[in-house]
Amino acid sequence: MSAPAVEASFSLAAGGFIVTADLALDEGVLVLFGPSGSGKSLSIKALAGLIRPERGRIRVAGTTFFDSDAKVNVPAHKRRIGYVPQMHALFPFRSVAENVAFGLPRRERRADNPTVLALLDELGLSARAKEQPSKLSGGERQRVALARALAVSPKLLLLDEPFSSIDQDGREALGRLLRATLERHKIPAVFVTHDPDEALALGDRLVRFEPGRTSESGLPATLVRRGQPVLVTATLDGAARPLDGGRAQVSLAGAVVEGPADLLSPHEGNRLVLELRTRPRNKR
Amino acid sequence: MNPQLFPIVLSFGVATAAMVMVTPIGTGIAWVQARVPHPLRRAVDVLVLLPIVLPPTVIGFLLVVLFGRQGIFGSQLEAILGVRLIFTPWAAVIASTVAALPVMVKAAQPAFEAIPRELEDVGRSLGLSPIAVFFRVSLPAARRGLLAGMVLAFARAMGEFGGTLMFAGNKPGQTNTMPLELFAAYQAGDDARAFLYVAILVGFAVLVAIAAGRLTPKEGT
Repeated sequence: MSAPAVEASFSLAAGGFIVTADLALDEGVLVLFGPSGSGKSLSIKALAGLIRPERGRIRVAGTTFFDSDAKVNVPAHKRRIGYVPQMHALFPFRSVAENVAFGLPRRERRADNPTVLALLDELGLSARAKEQPSKLSGGERQRVALARALAVSPKLLLLDEPFSSIDQDGREALGRLLRATLERHKIPAVFVTHDPDEALALGDRLVRFEPGRTSESGLPATLVRRGQPVLVTATLDGAARPLDGGRAQVSLAGAVVEGPADLLSPHEGNRLVLELRTRPRNKR
Repeated sequence: MNPQLFPIVLSFGVATAAMVMVTPIGTGIAWVQARVPHPLRRAVDVLVLLPIVLPPTVIGFLLVVLFGRQGIFGSQLEAILGVRLIFTPWAAVIASTVAALPVMVKAAQPAFEAIPRELEDVGRSLGLSPIAVFFRVSLPAARRGLLAGMVLAFARAMGEFGGTLMFAGNKPGQTNTMPLELFAAYQAGDDARAFLYVAILVGFAVLVAIAAGRLTPKEGT
């Protein structure tokens, strides 16, 4: 069995803001999900080696890139981790094909390199190969950025809200293309977003961020929908037990529920309808 | 060489040599000031500006103190290498370099500051070492600002007068650059000769202003 794609636990400080993160991914796509300013982008910069954490450990595909105890800190250019930022992704002084070839070794760094041509074809950019980035649409630019990151065969791909400046239809199409491309190339990825639909569509695993820390991780469908109401119709195990102060306790399906007596009176015989809202495990 | 032509050729030669010296030094200082956090940032800013705010004669005097025959470095240069700088065309080059350095730094620094950090971050993620990022990402991204700085530095070097007069002197056929020759022609009442250099310097300045104007506004695109 191959090593997990990402095993990271670190804390970092940037501009007076402290982020503590626990990230784990065996394979596929890990979504970092949470509000803007919660530390998602800083965390992937730490994975990339663009920010040095204060302490902790970062392993990617079995290789330790950072370990504060062992004093290991592999510089960004030696990590082979692809990075697609939100904006300003392309080198404005290079054509589309030259951008894709940018990270290749000097001898292979040609616009007509077979790897470059194949990636341009795969991402539907062949007709735009000689264009300057300024002539491209937002979606095309991000596809070029993706092709450029893939051209150097990274161990891991980091995408920092890459579709944020693209309209909804374009985002969905790009999301499908990204998923298919990552699966074809068998490259694990970490994808930052605050869009629930994007998180559900792209993620195999999800880590939820709250300001300054990761709060929980799990399946995207579970975590993204957390907080949305769930209606439960349950049969009472017995009669309600009255408590002091107008409260009561009922037992349904083995669970004990306590609350205002009038709200816990059964409807339709001995059936009770409850609206449940899930919360992160560490919040009560 | 024709004595009227010599100051023109010398001025272009001195300005070219000064630009060759100023470009790497000014680019390096500008990049450090723009990208490397260090405690001497303000002090370097002040030092770089000094040649602009000080009277040129003060710069000339300091150059004599440093590189004159009895100067701190000048005496060593002459004793060890047998090289004498003062009152030579090289002295004019050094005076012009000092005068042009702030112009280069002040054009290049904002050009580096305007580069989105993400571009350099992407460069590093693609396997480029910090030095490779500088040459393959930062320099090309800041090229318009750097070119504008070079053009302006060349023009400033071409117009250098006070420092050159004190450090290089006004030796006909050796150190008489166009501004010095213009001054000499004016003092001698030779208006025709003065107008020749005025016309060349004004025409050149107009070209420089146009070139710099075309280069600077598109920074970061």
